[in-house]
Amino acid sequence: MSAPEPQRRVGQTILEWDHVTFGYGRTPVLRDVTLQLTSGELLAVVGPNGSGKTTLVKLGLGLLHPTSGSVRLFGQPVERFRDWGRVGYVPQRAGADSPLPLSVLEVVRSGLAGHLGLVRRPTAADRQRIEHVLEVMGIAELRTAPVSQLSGGQQQRALIARALVTAPQLLVLDEPTTGVDAAARAALRQSLEHLIRVEGVGVISISHDPEGFADLADRVVEVRAGRVVARDRADVEVRRP
Amino acid sequence: MTPLSYDFMQRAFVACVLVCAAAPLVGAFVVQRRQSLIGDGIGHVAFAGVGLAFLVGVSPLLGALALTLVAVVALQRLSRAGLGGDVALALVFYGGISLGYLLSSRSDAGVGAVLGFLFGSALDLTWGEVGVIALLAGIVVAIVALLYLPLVAIAFDEAAARVSGVPTSGLTLALTAVVGLVVVGGMYALGLLLVAAMMVVPVAAAAQVARSYRQTLLLASAIGALSAVVGLLLAFYADTTPGASIVVVAIGCYGVNAVLRAVPRRAIRTATLESRQ
Repeated sequence: MSAPEPQRRVGQTILEWDHVTFGYGRTPVLRDVTLQLTSGELLAVVGPNGSGKTTLVKLGLGLLHPTSGSVRLFGQPVERFRDWGRVGYVPQRAGADSPLPLSVLEVVRSGLAGHLGLVRRPTAADRQRIEHVLEVMGIAELRTAPVSQLSGGQQQRALIARALVTAPQLLVLDEPTTGVDAAARAALRQSLEHLIRVEGVGVISISHDPEGFADLADRVVEVRAGRVVARDRADVEVRRP
Repeated sequence: MTPLSYDFMQRAFVACVLVCAAAPLVGAFVVQRRQSLIGDGIGHVAFAGVGLAFLVGVSPLLGALALTLVAVVALQRLSRAGLGGDVALALVFYGGISLGYLLSSRSDAGVGAVLGFLFGSALDLTWGEVGVIALLAGIVVAIVALLYLPLVAIAFDEAAARVSGVPTSGLTLALTAVVGLVVVGGMYALGLLLVAAMMVVPVAAAAQVARSYRQTLLLASAIGALSAVVGLLLAFYADTTPGASIVVVAIGCYGVNAVLRAVPRRAIRTATLESRQ
């Protein structure tokens, strides 16, 4: 069953890669990439492992710097961007093998650290926002459970809740369906639909798995051999097993 | 006569409880960041500082603190330059202990005086030294309490913390500096080699039974303090070395907690099997 067509706020360019080239040493990873994400859209980035998907996103978030070309985030060069509360990032399987127990609530609350600065404490409004994202992600009842003891899908929802706690306008998901079973994937899909449709969050989902969230996406691009090419969404769905 | 009837035991109890309760508060962050051996490494560099202090005739505390802070900055630079791997760290750490031995061999006090700092001498502390330990422990606790949330953020997921605007480089530097303070604060009581154990072992013990990070921190601090008390009692009554006794007790706590954690699981498995039959 296809997802209902959401009413999205489309228009503003959130993230823009302009003729970006990047390599590790002399090994080229991405070549002359030009790509945009606008508000209220879901962009799926697909491609095989090692194709440069994560590098593309890290360049977009300023975690890596392009060899040539430029990246703009909310209209500003990413290296000068400071309003990080507008961005939520969920790295691949982060914290899944945490050596110490962190409860879901602690993980979600840690997402406020950048917004609060070094010494400020969460306010009542911050606590309300934490409760809201726990509800939206369907993990309110798991708040005291250690994250490392949750299933893959529950962990992923806790990490997305952490990224959402500052009410970001851009959410970046790196391999959100890795290690997530079909039922949890469906729950995750429902949460994402809510975020995009109701809360108007722009989402980039990168995945080596064509089954990821490509069928939910407004646009699908494939990274292959360092190049980014637009893909037909139907073509990605056809390849699903 | 009870142990607390003696002045030297009173000083040992105060100093060791402070060090062993404060060390795991920092240790929880380094364990979570998978840098459990960083305290040990910084201890090696602090040893060079003690050797230097003996050579130039200043307080060992001053020498250890100075070289520890140099090491903290050097580690940060190495990490930024992509040289933070095992070999680069080994060069810094083994360089530290060799330098300490070398410098102390050229000092008037000789090697013997410096070697005492490796394993500490809790029973020989002065009230002045206890005061310095209390000051350093207070600074450590205050920094951890003040920066708790951003430290949790970088310990759990540094990349996401960086994207959310947390100043990860500055916090990492601050955390390493606090590790240095613990090492220097603990060198008189537990020694430069054993104080690092109290950053890690109580945390590992607490993590066996805790269900959250805050619980882990508080429980680890309590286990550290308990280990200090029991270890010193052991040293008093059984005439063992205090620092080593404290660490052995902490390892014992780890063993007890590991058993406590395993028993309910086994009981649940057995009950499940019985109910199926």
